[in-house]
Amino acid sequence: MEEKMNEKELDLTGRLMADMDPGLLDFLQTKVNSFVKWDLVRFFHDNPHTTDTADNIARYAGRSIDTIRTELADLTRDGVLEENQLGEMTVYSLAPDPHTRNLLEQFVRASDDRQFRVKAIYHIIRGTRQ
Amino acid sequence: MERVKTGIPGLDEMLQGGFLPQTANLIEGAPGTGKTTLGMQFIYHGIVACGEPGLILTFEEFPQQYYNDATNFGWDFRQMEREGKLRIVMTSPEVSKADLEAVGGRIEGLIQETGAKRVLVDSISHFERLSEEPTQLRSIIHSFVNALKREGLTTVLTRESIALLGDSEGTDDALAFLVDTYILLRYVEIESAIRKALLVLKMRGSNHDRGIRQFEITSRGIDVRAPFEGREGIMSGSPRRMVDSFVQAFVRR
Repeated sequence: MEEKMNEKELDLTGRLMADMDPGLLDFLQTKVNSFVKWDLVRFFHDNPHTTDTADNIARYAGRSIDTIRTELADLTRDGVLEENQLGEMTVYSLAPDPHTRNLLEQFVRASDDRQFRVKAIYHIIRGTRQ
Repeated sequence: MERVKTGIPGLDEMLQGGFLPQTANLIEGAPGTGKTTLGMQFIYHGIVACGEPGLILTFEEFPQQYYNDATNFGWDFRQMEREGKLRIVMTSPEVSKADLEAVGGRIEGLIQETGAKRVLVDSISHFERLSEEPTQLRSIIHSFVNALKREGLTTVLTRESIALLGDSEGTDDALAFLVDTYILLRYVEIESAIRKALLVLKMRGSNHDRGIRQFEITSRGIDVRAPFEGREGIMSGSPRRMVDSFVQAFVRR
């Protein structure tokens, strides 16, 4: 019974993701795979010149520092953000790589579409359950 | 002497043509008096009328807020950013200060990339959380202001004043000594209506109009108008008609 449910779910995922741009799908699956990361990439998209500490970014994003610390580290590891030392401070900013910036632009633009958001939310929820 | 025009009708006349180049100019006022609008108009005028790109360093509002506010005055800040004439940077006082102190920092990079000549810092009040010790705070702000001057920028700094009417109490005046120009924006109550007053309190190295002028925020930005006439005690927030003061001082004795 449970196996059948999983099969059904996989089928639904497949259909939901089928018409998604492969580049965007990969960006979603490998980089923006949590709601906090979604908030963070959106923040850096809207504030492309921001360089700041994790504490301040948490304040701007309206999240707690504990919530975003790991997510900032993941986004840095995945090449979306850049981490630098500024005196004694560790600061984060958007990575300058044009390919990543282009994907981010596409992702944020696609997020304005309700259909895309539904698919992306579904994927993230599935991802967090696995 | 060369002047950096604000493009604000009336204000440039008060400043004998505008700010002096590469100076720090403080605009202080209560919430809603128009500090940010004045700063945005200074940036906008630089871009469209003087060919001088600009930078906005914001410590509180998101860039979207500036895009929206500017649109209300017919200023397309988003387009200016696309054209590389404007950069709106949301940051924090501690990071922007450290960044400007470092060689080849991000802000320096943005200044070089755009060729920025003007900067709006909105607001300098946020530096107050960096130190509770006045001498240290003064040193921090001094270093920040000097870094902006070093980059060849003419700066408008906004500062929040808590008092809605009259003098603000407890304001640390150390900043007043550091800046080159000190402009006060005040609410004034006249015959049960609130009006706005502007006073150029100080302008280092230049003469300036010492009158207290009325100003309005119109659909095209700030418009500085005629001085308040026949009244005294304007900056107290509750001016009296001069004739009443005269009667009080002489006739009723």
